[in-house]
Amino acid sequence: MSSEPIERRVSYLGDRLRGSRCQICGKEYFEIRDYCGKCGRKSFGKMDESDLFFEKGKLEVSTLINEPTNKFIKLGNFVYGIVSFHDGKIRVPGRLTDRMIKDNDTVDLSTFEEREVVPRFRRRYSVSASDVIPTISLTFTFADEYYPHQEYKKVKPSKDYDAPGIVGYGVYSSRFRIKEGNLERAVPFIDEDSITAAVEAGKLALIHSSIDTTLVGKIYVGSESNPYAVKPIASKVAQVLKLGEEDEDVQGIDAIDTEFACKAASSMFKDAASLVNYPESGVNHAMVIGTDNSQAAPRNSPGGELDLFVGYGAAAFIFGKQDVIAEIEGWYSCTSDTPDFWRRDGESFPSHGGRFTGDPAYFKHVRKASSKIMEKLNLKPCDVTYFVAHQPNMQFPIRIAKELGFKEEQYQPSLQVAKFGNTYSGCSPVGLAAILDIAKPNERILITSYGSGAGSDAYSLITTNQLLDKRSRQKLTVKYQAENPFLEYVDYTTYRRLKLGM
Amino acid sequence: MSMQNRPAIVAAGRTKFGEHYEKEPEKLIEEAWLKASAEANLERKDIQACYISDYFLPITNKLGLEEGWLSELTELHVPMEVTRSFGSALSNACNAIRAGSYDTILVGGIEKMTDRWDKIRDDLMLLEDPWSYYAGCTPEANHELMLRAYIKKHNIKNENLHKLETALAQISVKNHLHATKNTCAQYQRKITVEQVLNARKEARKPLGLYDFAPITDGAAVLILTSEQKAKKLTDKPIHILGFASATDYLTYPEREDMTHFLVTETAMQKALKTAQTSLQDIQLLELYDQSTVMELISMEDLGFCKRGTAWKTIHENCENYKGYYQIEGKQLFTNMNGGLKADGNPLGATGGAQIYEIFKQLRGEAGERQAKADSELKHGCVLELEGFGTKGYVYILGRD
Repeated sequence: MSSEPIERRVSYLGDRLRGSRCQICGKEYFEIRDYCGKCGRKSFGKMDESDLFFEKGKLEVSTLINEPTNKFIKLGNFVYGIVSFHDGKIRVPGRLTDRMIKDNDTVDLSTFEEREVVPRFRRRYSVSASDVIPTISLTFTFADEYYPHQEYKKVKPSKDYDAPGIVGYGVYSSRFRIKEGNLERAVPFIDEDSITAAVEAGKLALIHSSIDTTLVGKIYVGSESNPYAVKPIASKVAQVLKLGEEDEDVQGIDAIDTEFACKAASSMFKDAASLVNYPESGVNHAMVIGTDNSQAAPRNSPGGELDLFVGYGAAAFIFGKQDVIAEIEGWYSCTSDTPDFWRRDGESFPSHGGRFTGDPAYFKHVRKASSKIMEKLNLKPCDVTYFVAHQPNMQFPIRIAKELGFKEEQYQPSLQVAKFGNTYSGCSPVGLAAILDIAKPNERILITSYGSGAGSDAYSLITTNQLLDKRSRQKLTVKYQAENPFLEYVDYTTYRRLKLGM
Repeated sequence: MSMQNRPAIVAAGRTKFGEHYEKEPEKLIEEAWLKASAEANLERKDIQACYISDYFLPITNKLGLEEGWLSELTELHVPMEVTRSFGSALSNACNAIRAGSYDTILVGGIEKMTDRWDKIRDDLMLLEDPWSYYAGCTPEANHELMLRAYIKKHNIKNENLHKLETALAQISVKNHLHATKNTCAQYQRKITVEQVLNARKEARKPLGLYDFAPITDGAAVLILTSEQKAKKLTDKPIHILGFASATDYLTYPEREDMTHFLVTETAMQKALKTAQTSLQDIQLLELYDQSTVMELISMEDLGFCKRGTAWKTIHENCENYKGYYQIEGKQLFTNMNGGLKADGNPLGATGGAQIYEIFKQLRGEAGERQAKADSELKHGCVLELEGFGTKGYVYILGRD
């Protein structure tokens, strides 16, 4: 049993690592304080808000936890320690995450201490299935490993555009992979889920775009693996990333979750773009995130075929009309009620229509949307530099790309399914991000998503000069995450356990 | 300024510490009370107030208001107050005596931890420091972090590090040795340095099973009176010459210095001042060795050893242990009851057992484990902590 008000307060402070700093003496606190303990009454109204969410800390001392308290048992062995920020002015307790320590492993803690760490937003500990999921950012990873520290700097926009487009993006996937044959798939760590991935992707998109978070007026999060049947992921993202103007403890932003199998996020690109393009909306920026800890029944059980392809990850895109990196040239969406893949309420894993998922479902809708947009914009395949299709496996996107007349150099760079698996709502968006990572200015990108149930959204995007200006701000590119030397490979049993989470 | 109206302890009682799964919590405190009241030849009606401590009995034993439960047990309807530590209960009782509010008070402590064995580490950690708990801390982890911070700060390496590790083991060995003569102790058996070291190896940690105090059930009771009243009840009252407490942040990482407890240092300085005694006067010492690290650090915080050196003193003394520490030519009898490590650590009652020990030792009633001092025993000191150094209580006891 948990207490929701306590949960609200702990996660409000702990997710963002909110603190205060005294203007008079400079003392810092990990909590929101109205006055400084040292300076007393005279410091009332002189406490600056601060938070450590985008900062890096230093692990001062640490110890191995191999007999955790009950709520941490599912984490197995882990390293716990004390992390300091701002040259030791503020210290917090912290757990090192993304590290699997077997019972017989020797852990040389002296190699951990004094190293820089980055706060990570994760699940806090295990609770029962009916409880609110506790989260926290008192979890850290080393800055010199998989996830480098990146500064989030607000940059004043320098250029206005007539058409709305993408102003920044971020892709997040975990450090863990399962490799079977030629297919590598991302596996969440045990304290990760679709909520934590959404926050991570959003954080990386903010770093990349350098926009002022208070100017984000809408957030859409598309997912089919929200650990809650009722309760949005978008509200968590808005609060942790402090999107919109914060008033008391409420964010001035509209936040909504969307669901349409794998096109839950891509469908909202046009809504986000339209919203920022509508002057009366007052929305400068809108963020769209596709996130999934893609679900699949265990192999050799009904629906278990999906277990060969499911991945983990999220992609976030910020739309706006200033400092755009890719303008939206046009779109086309289509829908039919095709039951090729579904999950009934209360069921843990989705079912699918086997052979039916191909021709009457995926191919029909991707073909329709792609050809319609090309027709609408009067495009031939040679007018398109890159083609991105939804990629539930390696075969489908290649077959449809060829059928539409695209050459290998046009579709191959977007194919990421062999590196991350099918990240469901994040799937075609990850493909798009991979292209934006490498594209040059004034290139045309055609992206066609697919969501079972069924429908497709096709977009044509034209990259701008500013694409190159912003590129250096993001170290965590798709390629970086796909080919990182710190990736850790797990076996099938571990993969199933990690996917299930805490 | 020395204390006016010195409170006096006229009797003390305690249960055996350990697992008492067959007993209701009230049976334990009843047992301690009966022993103490028999010693002072008091009746229930003589008690004017009760100060009782338990750290989290309502959580571990699903109890209601402890005061009501005690009233039912004793048929007393006098003022009763509940605190979390024995040191705190005793402070309140001492202040009441000094204010002249009462002249006979029952001060008791009780804990029954084994009834909640499976969940107790979560409870302990959550109460000790919620933010650390949320980040994955365990009741043992902070001790290990403190040790690592201490080693780093004082740059202890190689041979010295080995000596420090041995000294910590020797603390545990010494406490177990003392407990062999304490029939109330939870563990009345000797252990060896090898056993302590092996347990660490097995745990793959700097501290192992034998470095930590156990989970314990038990109760302890004192009868505290005014100086005047004490004269009527006993010819050997033990006076509380000075006492003080101090507090610090709940969240250990947020404190200025992670290598010691500010509360111990602060409380000791104040207590010595009010008692008008000096460190050199202290012959008996009961430390709060929730872990061997805590005992080591406390030796420095109280002022018996300089910062960063307690391990040397302990190591030198324990290589050929004589039953006490020899510090600057003076004997210091430390944790004669076996400490929390071997006597047991029933949180709310632990401080009671510490005071009980000094009371018995100063009266020369400690039986087999009576300290064999070169000079007459006159002063003893007790350190009790709450949380992980969040609160500290120091008592200086003496007899005329």
